[in-house]
Amino acid sequence: MNETARPYYWAFISLCGAVIAVYILFPIFWLFLASFKTRDQLAQLPIAFWPEEPTLQAYRDLFDSGSQSSQLLNWPTLISNSFTVAVTSTIIVVILGTFAGYAFARLKFPGRDLILGGLLVSRMFQGAALLLPTYRLMNTLGLQDSLLGLILLYSAFGLPFATWIIASSLREIPVELEESAMMDGASRLQAMFLVVLPLATPALITAAMWHFVGAWSEFAFASILLESSANKTVTIGLASFVELFTLEFQKVGAAATLVAMPIMVVFFFGQRYFTRGLLAGAVKG
Amino acid sequence: MGSVTLNNIRKSYGAVEVLHGIDLQVDDGEFTVLVGPSGCGKSTLLRAIAGLETISDGQISLDNEVINHLPPKRRDIAMVFQNYALYPHMTVAKNMGFSLRLAKESKSEIDRKVRAAAGILDLVPLLQRYPKQLSGGQRQRVAMGRAIVRDPEVFLFDEPLSNLDAKLRVQMRSEIKELHQRLGTTTVYVTHDQIEAMTMADKIVVMRGGHVEQMGSPLQLYDRPVNVFVAGFIGSPAMNFIDATVQNGTVITPSGAILGPAPDSLPDGSAVTAGIRPEDIFLSDSGAETTVGLIEPTGAETQLTLRMDGASLVMTTRDRVTLSPGDAVHIRVTEGKLRLFDTQSEAAIW
Repeated sequence: MNETARPYYWAFISLCGAVIAVYILFPIFWLFLASFKTRDQLAQLPIAFWPEEPTLQAYRDLFDSGSQSSQLLNWPTLISNSFTVAVTSTIIVVILGTFAGYAFARLKFPGRDLILGGLLVSRMFQGAALLLPTYRLMNTLGLQDSLLGLILLYSAFGLPFATWIIASSLREIPVELEESAMMDGASRLQAMFLVVLPLATPALITAAMWHFVGAWSEFAFASILLESSANKTVTIGLASFVELFTLEFQKVGAAATLVAMPIMVVFFFGQRYFTRGLLAGAVKG
Repeated sequence: MGSVTLNNIRKSYGAVEVLHGIDLQVDDGEFTVLVGPSGCGKSTLLRAIAGLETISDGQISLDNEVINHLPPKRRDIAMVFQNYALYPHMTVAKNMGFSLRLAKESKSEIDRKVRAAAGILDLVPLLQRYPKQLSGGQRQRVAMGRAIVRDPEVFLFDEPLSNLDAKLRVQMRSEIKELHQRLGTTTVYVTHDQIEAMTMADKIVVMRGGHVEQMGSPLQLYDRPVNVFVAGFIGSPAMNFIDATVQNGTVITPSGAILGPAPDSLPDGSAVTAGIRPEDIFLSDSGAETTVGLIEPTGAETQLTLRMDGASLVMTTRDRVTLSPGDAVHIRVTEGKLRLFDTQSEAAIW
């Protein structure tokens, strides 16, 4: 490309990026804005983009024990359940994924690469195809309608990808660093914890973020496995909420914003690690 | 004390044996250099001494105590890696103190030892820096600092200078040698650079294909190589080799030029490979006739490439040369400096 065409090229690319970003983000932003409006404002014509008198009433209604929405859905319980499931399964996935990833990256055993490839292939199964067998399995194990069942299920689903990301990242870390640590007096475990894992932080954070977001927003398995309202998670709550309050869009907006909040927080703090972790192994350092 | 004894060390990867029964004695305080071309097994041998590589057979002893079964951390051996292997997330001070931290020494003791080692290596102003903020030479010194801070029985160096530019390599070579003279710690040093081997070693071990070809002092190897491989590997520029035959008690080239006297033990007509060091060739009014091919002055000396019998001969001279390419010159070999090797077995005859 010649020098004069270059700025136009980048302007075009940037414009495409901006259009795609607006296309994706506008509905989410619209929902967010709606949560600060009143029902009347939402119904008025012509449609007002910004809330005239922003209000937190929709959010108060979610938690106000006297409100109709609060009586139908207990949001603190939903949030607490989702946190329990997402955080616990993330911890399990990161811990097991770290050890498994280390084994795949460093130890030599028959079928190592085949198994690592197999882990990735397992990600290609459509979740829907597994719904029925999973339901039957959980029933047999007596784990249906329990958070423990969901934690185990999410951990099993999340582990292959976490292992793969962590193994890819550990392969990038020169083995001499570990050998050097062992010469310095470290056991293999000490070398791993004191030298290797601090250097693999981006991959660990990426694996954790990826899993947390997936577990927090998972709907299909939670909806078939969880029955009692004491065990339900936010995604099921949100789905029920949308059905119950279709006409009160400001409440739907508030609930959706609330559910999306942890994911936004996670990305806000972890985004600089995220691309680094995912790109591990993509280019030679 | 820190003497290392290797007895019949063998190492196989599956069916492929890469070390074929190595015997080696490294005395306490000795600087031993393992040298050889890529793939000769020198790094594998070093890693076996370190405990980073298991061996298939044989015995590794440190001060007469067999250490085959000990993990690296219990061998009291420190190693400097080719790529330095500094911990990127730790400062220079933390890097150097890491082994002491693992040994649970007190913070004040770690500080004292790190400062002492840093003082030896001029690293004190860099103690709070991270490896990425250091130059290649500084990183190399930190890697050495990390080794000496432990005061181990043995230092192992795995091609530590290969990532440095030529000038720095010469400087660091001197620093490592000085450090060894100062600390007197037994050292095993691996390199593929024979100049490093010659300049640093008390003892050189030349390896090829998992075998030891020859071991001895640098000058022993230079003056009395046991075969063509060692003769060609040690010395720069390398030794010249010419196919020759013995006739009437002299060694002559195919064109009939006399290179020097032959030993009585070789009968007339014996085919030999003649080996001549570049500095042992001198220009003369009589002697074998050659043509000047290339003239390369380096300042202190000049390197001439001469053509004789379709082969090239390299000679070096400290005299100023006024020749031009294409000139015909006569050469002779310094008396007593002609080496002869068996053409078939390549073993030294004389």
